[in-house]
Amino acid sequence: MTDNSTTGLAMSAKDHRRKRRRQRGREALRGYLFLAPWLIGVACFVCYPLFYSVYISFNKVSIAKDGSGLAYEWIGWGNYRYSFLRDNVFPIEMLSFLRELLFIVPITVIFSLLVAVMLNQKFRGRMFFRMIFFLPVIFATGEVLTELFSQGQGAIPFGDQYDVEALIYGIFSPNVASTIMSVISRFVIILWSSGIQIIIFLAAFQTIPQSAFEAARIDGVTPWESFWKITFPVIVPFIALNLIYTLVDQSTNPFNPIIAHILKNMSDAETGYGYASALGWIYCAITLVPILILARFGRPANKRKG
Amino acid sequence: MVLLNRVRRYWARHHIAERLRVAFVGRQIVDGLLFKAALIAILISVSVLYVKPLLYMMSTSLKTLPDLLDQSVRWIPNTLEWLNYEKAIGGLKYWRSLGITSFIALTAAVLQTLACGITGYAFARLHIPGKKFWFAIVILTFLIPQQTLVIPLYVIYVKLGWLNTVLPFIVPAIVAQGIKGSLFIIIFRQFFSTLPKELEESARMDGAGAFRTYWKIMIPLSRPALLIVFLFSFVWHWNDYFEPALYLKGADFYPLSLSLEHLQANLNFMSGSSSGLTNVVVDVNEPIKMAAAFLIILPPLILYMFAQRYFVEGIERTGIVE
Repeated sequence: MTDNSTTGLAMSAKDHRRKRRRQRGREALRGYLFLAPWLIGVACFVCYPLFYSVYISFNKVSIAKDGSGLAYEWIGWGNYRYSFLRDNVFPIEMLSFLRELLFIVPITVIFSLLVAVMLNQKFRGRMFFRMIFFLPVIFATGEVLTELFSQGQGAIPFGDQYDVEALIYGIFSPNVASTIMSVISRFVIILWSSGIQIIIFLAAFQTIPQSAFEAARIDGVTPWESFWKITFPVIVPFIALNLIYTLVDQSTNPFNPIIAHILKNMSDAETGYGYASALGWIYCAITLVPILILARFGRPANKRKG
Repeated sequence: MVLLNRVRRYWARHHIAERLRVAFVGRQIVDGLLFKAALIAILISVSVLYVKPLLYMMSTSLKTLPDLLDQSVRWIPNTLEWLNYEKAIGGLKYWRSLGITSFIALTAAVLQTLACGITGYAFARLHIPGKKFWFAIVILTFLIPQQTLVIPLYVIYVKLGWLNTVLPFIVPAIVAQGIKGSLFIIIFRQFFSTLPKELEESARMDGAGAFRTYWKIMIPLSRPALLIVFLFSFVWHWNDYFEPALYLKGADFYPLSLSLEHLQANLNFMSGSSSGLTNVVVDVNEPIKMAAAFLIILPPLILYMFAQRYFVEGIERTGIVE
């Protein structure tokens, strides 16, 4: 702020403060004006649906008898109890989905890290490979993926040759083995979802100044050591970020059985919107737990940087 | 013996051993030819595994049924069966779906890019009381799975009579919501906060208001960010199938991402209506399905051929990682 007290037109401290306040007010107003479309959007398409969804998850929702719309009947935690105690599909699917996530998420992130490290080397044609690895982001649409999967094109090719199935069932318990087999049967499709993550890692590598590597090199540090001592610490928060991104991304995956189950229950007269909403909230709660843990894990490193 | 000695001396004097070592193994392992050869070999084999389903799609789409069953024909069909594509175009109602998809994706992407740009700018630069709180909400909306919100949204759209229209895709885009809207806001915020602050200050000195500054100075500067957000928004709207599957239930109005589902029905209908016989059923075989799948992904692939630089460099250039 300019100091007016030295000029002839001195302003009293009170006026000065008032003027400043008014200016800040105007600035805030302008800020909110810019934010207005988004605020409206959040109110209409996030907040209202969220509260409504919480509300109907405690209700039994059915079509009103006079056909005027929906009828609500408050049943408290009934829907939630039903999902775990009486629904004989949901808990099993949720569990098997979570077990698959346990494989899918690390596979995606580790794969994208490996590819990013390879693409970060200097050699001719790396732009070509970048193009290849980003390709699936462009065409990976649900029905095409499920079609390729149904024709067995998602599997790794040597799976059948060496009879991996018998081997895996031999080593692991049936539960774990069936999860592994389901992951293997669409392994390539899983790898396909790593395009954005690869780019994020590549961009993360760019943030490390080249001089750090040069200095290390003069001191006789091997590339292997400089990866673990220089590169890796920098990308730890990005590993967390990519884990979160992958987790969020999986919720829109066409192979996510929970979506199918929710949609099925939505149109089911017996269960309806109320129950389907409750399922949505259970799914949300379960996936937000690892995300929040990862966010906490990634944050201290971020703070240190900035 | 003499010769051998000369060779040995020549070898030593010109440091050939050292030079060869440097060339192959490198001063550091990552500089050497051996390492690079191994690297490229690994990358090629992973890439082959990676694009194999795509190649399979293309090759199968051109096979005749005998070729499909013939074990000796793996990748290259004996005769190219272009009729598969003809059938697929008919069965998908391709041109119509293409038009619908283009319209939805283009409109939604343009609107979403503009709206998210304004929001991102506000978060990056303007004075907003409670900004941290609002930004936390942006992040939260990114993290909440669609499954949680989809039922109320569906009920709202039913009440508003928006089912089987394009409105559920376009209206959220206007208010910076929609597919990954929060991600785009984060990208814009990141981008705008890397621009120098002096830009706005000098604009204000010259008497420009906030809107003028944004429109005349920030927008032209943010072309890379606008382009990348637009491209992603376009492709993600194009590929989206979850929301269209829910909101577009009319049999006659569906985008390309859903059209595979209607392939069999449309083909049956077409053959039934042309021959007048009900028992003539065009069996949708694998080649036709693959031709249809390829037709569905073809437009984004063509877009990618032209814009791949921006797709790949975009995230790096917008500085989302900083």
